[in-house]
Amino acid sequence: MSGAGAVARAVAERLAAADVARLNATLAWSEAALAAEAARVDALPDDGVLHQWPVAIKDNIVTTDLPTTCGSRILQGYRSPFNATVVERLRAAGAMVACKTNLDEFAMGSSTEHSAFGRVLHPQDPSRVPGGSSGGSAALVAAGAVAAALGSETGGSVRQPASFCGVVGVKPTYGRVSRYGLVAFGSSLDCVSVFARTVAIAGQLLEVIAGPDSRDATSVAAPKLALQPPGASLAGTTIGIPREYFPADLDPGIQAACNRAMDRMRDLGARLIEVSLPHTSLAVPAYYIVAPAEAAANLARFDGARYGVRAESSGDVRALYRATRGRGFGAEVRRRILVGTYVLSAGYHEAYYGRAQAARRRITGDFSAAFAAGVDLLFTPTTPTTAFRAGEKTADPVAMYLADVFVCPASLAGLPAMSFPIGRSEGLPIGGQLIAPPFAEGVMLAAAARLEAALDPVAEAR
Amino acid sequence: MSVSREEVERIAGLAALALDPAELPELTAQMDRIVGFVARLAEAGSLEEPREAPDTPVDSPLREDVVLPADLARSPAELAPEFVDGFFVVPRLGAMEES
Amino acid sequence: MSWETVIGLEVHVQLDTRSKMFCGCSTGFGNPPNTNVCPVCLGLPGALPVPNAGAVRLGVRAALALECTVQPRSIFARKNYFYPDLPKGYQISQYDRPLASGGRLEIESSDRGTVPVSIVRLHLEEDAGKLLHDRIPGKTAIDLNRAGTPLAEIVSGPDLRSPAEAREYLNALKQILRYAGVSECNMEQGSLRVDGNISLRRKGESALGTRTEIKNLNSFANVERALSAERDRQEALLARGETVEQVTLLFHPGSGQVRPMRSKEESHDYRYFDDPDLPPLLLAPATIAAIGEELPELPAAKRSRLRDGYGLSAYDAGVLAAERSTADYFEAVCAAGAEPKAAANWVINETGAVPPAGVLAELIGLVEDGTLSHQAARRIYPELAGGGSPRDAAERLGLLQVRDTDALAAWVDAVIAGHPAEAARYRAGELKLMAFFTGQVMKQSRGQADPRRVQPMLARRLEDG
Repeated sequence: MSGAGAVARAVAERLAAADVARLNATLAWSEAALAAEAARVDALPDDGVLHQWPVAIKDNIVTTDLPTTCGSRILQGYRSPFNATVVERLRAAGAMVACKTNLDEFAMGSSTEHSAFGRVLHPQDPSRVPGGSSGGSAALVAAGAVAAALGSETGGSVRQPASFCGVVGVKPTYGRVSRYGLVAFGSSLDCVSVFARTVAIAGQLLEVIAGPDSRDATSVAAPKLALQPPGASLAGTTIGIPREYFPADLDPGIQAACNRAMDRMRDLGARLIEVSLPHTSLAVPAYYIVAPAEAAANLARFDGARYGVRAESSGDVRALYRATRGRGFGAEVRRRILVGTYVLSAGYHEAYYGRAQAARRRITGDFSAAFAAGVDLLFTPTTPTTAFRAGEKTADPVAMYLADVFVCPASLAGLPAMSFPIGRSEGLPIGGQLIAPPFAEGVMLAAAARLEAALDPVAEAR
Repeated sequence: MSVSREEVERIAGLAALALDPAELPELTAQMDRIVGFVARLAEAGSLEEPREAPDTPVDSPLREDVVLPADLARSPAELAPEFVDGFFVVPRLGAMEES
Repeated sequence: MSWETVIGLEVHVQLDTRSKMFCGCSTGFGNPPNTNVCPVCLGLPGALPVPNAGAVRLGVRAALALECTVQPRSIFARKNYFYPDLPKGYQISQYDRPLASGGRLEIESSDRGTVPVSIVRLHLEEDAGKLLHDRIPGKTAIDLNRAGTPLAEIVSGPDLRSPAEAREYLNALKQILRYAGVSECNMEQGSLRVDGNISLRRKGESALGTRTEIKNLNSFANVERALSAERDRQEALLARGETVEQVTLLFHPGSGQVRPMRSKEESHDYRYFDDPDLPPLLLAPATIAAIGEELPELPAAKRSRLRDGYGLSAYDAGVLAAERSTADYFEAVCAAGAEPKAAANWVINETGAVPPAGVLAELIGLVEDGTLSHQAARRIYPELAGGGSPRDAAERLGLLQVRDTDALAAWVDAVIAGHPAEAARYRAGELKLMAFFTGQVMKQSRGQADPRRVQPMLARRLEDG
């Protein structure tokens, strides 16, 4: 059997295995599709950076060979006529699309409980959530079914599940990776992001998909992503510790894990200083104005007219639109569309959307000031809790939103940020977050790799 | 700052979302909660700032005016729920007419 | 009670580009439905817009031709509403940071003479697709070939004071945009669309009255008709002491009537916000200036120069300058040596395929020097569309004017001999019979006699006779 064929066969076995299948992490995969990918890869020269890698793709990234549903009934069975740029780049580097992964519908959520096709289970504890919205991708990587996966972030949807599942999750600088083919949610925030078991693998994957794309006007011809080998130490690195991310009532297990990580940083020669990012508390409210507003417009195209699922409706075209959308979108998506429409509507625009954009500029300014004052990286906990139980936060939408409190600000500021495992609390993974200046992924990944080697991620923190 | 049922219905109309009357009370309560939460920004004090960044004397990168192939793996006909004689088909305009 | 009519026009022109505003699909028309489409203009999930440099260039050109200030930084915004011809459920347009503003266009009003009309703004946006309502009974058919075509929206100030002025404004706008090579501006083909706003106020008042909007106009003539009908309707309302409601009206070409739209229209809440998929449109001052340099001589300047430089009447200069190609042709004919007034006559009056400029100049020269009569020249003209020698054509058709004295004398003598009664009457004093005799000689010579020589000869022989 060909090299790629063997890899594809192994992936299929893992995806079909009971311990992975029960996670409900995938929305589309087949042995035939995997075999086709293997055949394609075998015809390529074997020097691709990602040669024969099986990579799982979050189901809001379009592919021609497997359907793209965005976890929604309204796109059930939709087959995109084009591939996302990131998928084209992966495949050109020799990778194989392993499957499409489950997500909160249209990437709106923090637990992957809002998929129209059932929730995703936490690989270690089926009563818990893997985080969201990229829960399926996180769970598959944590379960060892694939080496790496693509997800997407709008307000932390890769870092947060990476933290919950005990894997590495990396969000690039906004504009670093093409959004062409990523189904838009919050256009000024959306970033294709990567999951992997190690920092090195995440970095390699990011390097392949990064770079300007003439089909995305917001993609930046930035300084090329420059991966660095992890240095021997962190000497010469100044790491800022923002006090707003370490409230007095932070979960003790998480505080302990962070303390351990910070000790390790000092051991490695880093200089740690306390900083302040004073507008941090505005981030979640601002995010839940800006993202829904953009989403309301981005989801207006789903009306059953030209593609996707169309509701049965007698009546005029407006009745068709209303019925298709009313029935095709789940509750969380409908809430966000309503909030987004509300905050943009006449009379409310300045009070909400205008202020949210202003708050966003202030938040960005806080980060810029910290970096300008000599901080190379910021370190914070990724999440305020470990993986919570399914159903725990679904009754109150705001409770779910607050799960994003530590990841959301970097999203608003467009900064590169990542989560990597720094310990456990009562057996559940804890993630530490690094935030870097714009386009400084190289520095960030090198520091994370160094820490990864120095920390035992499964050690209980206390 | 509270959101009324009438407001929710009006917004749903703007967003072309049909609402099940049975879900309206809970939905209104949730909307009220969310809007109340985000309205915190109103308490944040002055956030005024000039909207414009300083002008840069550089041209935006744009796409040259050339025709490019669409490169579609599937045609509109294959995507559409209803497709007749080359056209996408939806119901009559009805209430949307002359708007 | 004296009412003043106040009119403003919103004009949309399709920019003459090869590809669409935000994608590489062709703007060519006449193709089967939904064949000039791609993920972007179909509004497929995951597609993104990228602005067309050529459309921006033409937009800037149009703005400069209209003496606008072009903004070095303008912003694309989303205009959100649902309609079957709008694939994304929003139109990418520009809102409070348009490409250009503060321009002017002078028109000639029969009431007020030369009137400057302000151009409040010019912005870029994408066109919607086309809907067909009769194609499939009870349903709407959608063709997205046109969706995404680049448009410039041009908004005038409320500076027009009559439906006739509105029509003049449209003529002037069409002319200047065609001169600038920005758009065909053909209303019948859809490359120019007009919405009119009209209100009345008491003469002398500065505040504006309530205005109504008229849509679905399909020709300049109908713009004038519709505005007249609406002005009359508003005047009648106000005369009865009623107030004008702010409504949108549709013009019905068959009846010439304007009627309020059937549905009680709530004013649209478009929820504009800056499009996050598109960075601010930045134009360096040097780029804007270079586009300005590309502008050809514009109509007003062309008219003046033709009038003064060639000694033409204002009317003739105006007719020649109506289309840039006509003016250029006229100048080429003069450059090839033709006398300007004669050239103007020929260019203005002759229809059909035109000869090459040099050939027309030659033809005109042959008339001037008496080799051809004007009449003969007009008969040769259609033969010269593909070029060639006018003299050779004249010879071939036997139209060279005869100036040979003996030949002329023979015809003159024959005519006089053939009409003794008229000759006697002429000698008795009916001098107006000269025209009759001249005509007879021309007939006798089958148009080849040179009338300028014939007349003195006739006069002498009749007198001598």
